Amino acid sequence: MKCQFCERTCDLTKGRSFCGMYMEENGRVKERFPDQWCTYTPSRIESVPFYHAYPGARSMIIGTAGCNFRCRYCSNGFIACKDPADLQEVMYTLPADRLVAMAKKMGCHNIVFNVNEPAVSLPSLERVKYYARKEEIPMGCLTNGYTTESATRLMMEIFSFVHIGLKGFSNAFYHEFVGIPDMAPILRNIRMFAQTCHVEIASPVIEDVNDHELFDIARFIHDIRPDIPWHVFRLLPEHHMKESLYPNIDRMDQALETSRKLLPYIYFHNFVGSRWVNTLCPDCGHTVIKRFSLGCSGDRLDEFLAPGNTCPECGTPIPILGTRVAWNEKQSVSWEAVS
Amino acid sequence: MSLAVIDAREWQNRFDLETGQPRKSDTPGVEMAAGVLSRHPYPGDVDEQANQWVTDTALDLISHYDPDLVCLSYVQQFFSDRHFKHPETERERLFAAAMAEANRFVDLSGFTPVIVGTGDMIPLAGDMDLSGLDGLAVSSNWSARYCGIHGPSPRDMDFLNSLDTLERIVPKQEWIDLFQAAQPDLEILQDPRLMPDFLAVAREGQAFKTMGTTLRKPVHIPANNFQVPVVTPLGIINDLREIKPLIREHLSTHKIALILVEGVGESFFPESRRLVQNGVDWFCYEPGDAFYLTLSTGRHQPFAYPAGFRFFDKDADAVKFPFSGYMDMILGHTLALNFPGKSIAVGNRSMFMHMAFGVDISIECFARNLFNQGCMAVVHRDDK
Repeated sequence: MKCQFCERTCDLTKGRSFCGMYMEENGRVKERFPDQWCTYTPSRIESVPFYHAYPGARSMIIGTAGCNFRCRYCSNGFIACKDPADLQEVMYTLPADRLVAMAKKMGCHNIVFNVNEPAVSLPSLERVKYYARKEEIPMGCLTNGYTTESATRLMMEIFSFVHIGLKGFSNAFYHEFVGIPDMAPILRNIRMFAQTCHVEIASPVIEDVNDHELFDIARFIHDIRPDIPWHVFRLLPEHHMKESLYPNIDRMDQALETSRKLLPYIYFHNFVGSRWVNTLCPDCGHTVIKRFSLGCSGDRLDEFLAPGNTCPECGTPIPILGTRVAWNEKQSVSWEAVS
Repeated sequence: MSLAVIDAREWQNRFDLETGQPRKSDTPGVEMAAGVLSRHPYPGDVDEQANQWVTDTALDLISHYDPDLVCLSYVQQFFSDRHFKHPETERERLFAAAMAEANRFVDLSGFTPVIVGTGDMIPLAGDMDLSGLDGLAVSSNWSARYCGIHGPSPRDMDFLNSLDTLERIVPKQEWIDLFQAAQPDLEILQDPRLMPDFLAVAREGQAFKTMGTTLRKPVHIPANNFQVPVVTPLGIINDLREIKPLIREHLSTHKIALILVEGVGESFFPESRRLVQNGVDWFCYEPGDAFYLTLSTGRHQPFAYPAGFRFFDKDADAVKFPFSGYMDMILGHTLALNFPGKSIAVGNRSMFMHMAFGVDISIECFARNLFNQGCMAVVHRDDK
């Protein structure tokens, strides 16, 4: 009995899955901790970071526990890399209908799964999708992309906007820093997601480790679609890399120079005060979206200067899912209104 | 216009503090602050060297700016005790080390100290999960005792009233009246519509689990510190609000350092300490914005950022001070705002110092949820 959610395809007859979130029961794969969430918090969509989806929107951030990766630098290792069984006392029990009602109560425009890997909680998320769709609340996620083809298709049904981590461009990097043998499924899945979902891609850059792979990543993205936004994250030394050096910002900026010729929407951030977070019109260079960068999970919209999702100077279309959303377009509502 | 210098290690950028827009400035004060920042990379909130960073950075800044008033916060021991389980001996070492670091600053600087503890920490005994309410429960990362209840249903009130771990449920107006009686010119600085209909108050040792609370479950939380320790040779005080006038009274004759040591109770203070009132009746200030602002302004400030208010319904599109965390206004009446002498602040309570004390120049860490992003200097003025 093999789990078919991620490419580890764990043999569940031998026990629980690698992520700790699935088990076998009566010949079926079963979630060990359904409807258990580690957070439900309103946050700016730019903080996820989605830069080209519903700019300015109020997202309800959710997550569960566990991950199918073991990234040495994981910023959320205290949730993602621990045994989910040990974390249940910090979880919230919220059935899908109540979770969606919570999003409405808090005036959220969409729901984004972003603390850990959504593939470890797909049955719960499928239930959330059912109620979210009834309320016309779109769903998005951050994923490492290491899912089976069938799970990827399921995610494409659940999520309309997806932020995929492409952490390096060699099996050697993925083996040493992430703990998987082969990155090919991730590349396959990025291509699949890009067919029907809004896609943004993020790559952490570790100086002298994977910075030489940046151009390969850029070329891969370009070959799918050059207008896919690419977020290059300066490594924040955490978890098992706490003693590592912070990558030098100027050198990493220079390392991206050739990639900028291939991709018009490259953002270099994950550090406070970054000046590479604005969107420029690829044709005339006019600044069409201004943002503040506050470092990890803190970015925010400053000014949206692209009415109708086009450059006001030259009319070039800017690829954006949805339109600019005012933060207070929906205020939080009372329980009577959602019950 | 105030200017922020962000230092993300080996890389700096300068911004207008209020608008967040990049701004060029090379005044001597800005250059000096930028130099201090680059010489003192922040080790991280729970790093053993984080408090030493406060002392060393402050001494460096003093050597270049020669201030008359210094405001410091030492918080490493609070973060460490809050998030990590240490043996009791290690806990005591952490708190004693924080006091020793504060004293090292006093010895090396020669400033006359006013050292204020925020009171003891105690083990988290349990938490109340209020995510199942029909209404909305809102708490925050750094609050254990208070939680806002918005729009509760009758079923919610029945549930809340059944909780043995809840000390009381206070209607909004009763909470306001409590402080109005103690501070007739009380200011409510947020939109009252965003305040909770009821304030839920946990029994000592208990905390809330709601929207807004941390993913990192605390190990220790503040005790109900209705009194907090203060030690100073400047005079006798009985209330947190009396510290500001005491300092202002002596600034013409003394160089003074106001030093906060968070999470530290009276047993770590010298015998000459006094216990001063910290709050009103059943409401005690937890370490956080209300404590800092009450200390700095000499007035009760529970409603600058009220516990449990619906912060997410503020108009985020109009928010100012993007580098100041959830603080979005500079209060009047702060300790150093109209002080004609020179003043500085240094601390490792992120993004508080430059908003709380009204000093000319501040340097603080820029860490969020323990993630170390670097440091920030704010130059409010350098014309003295």
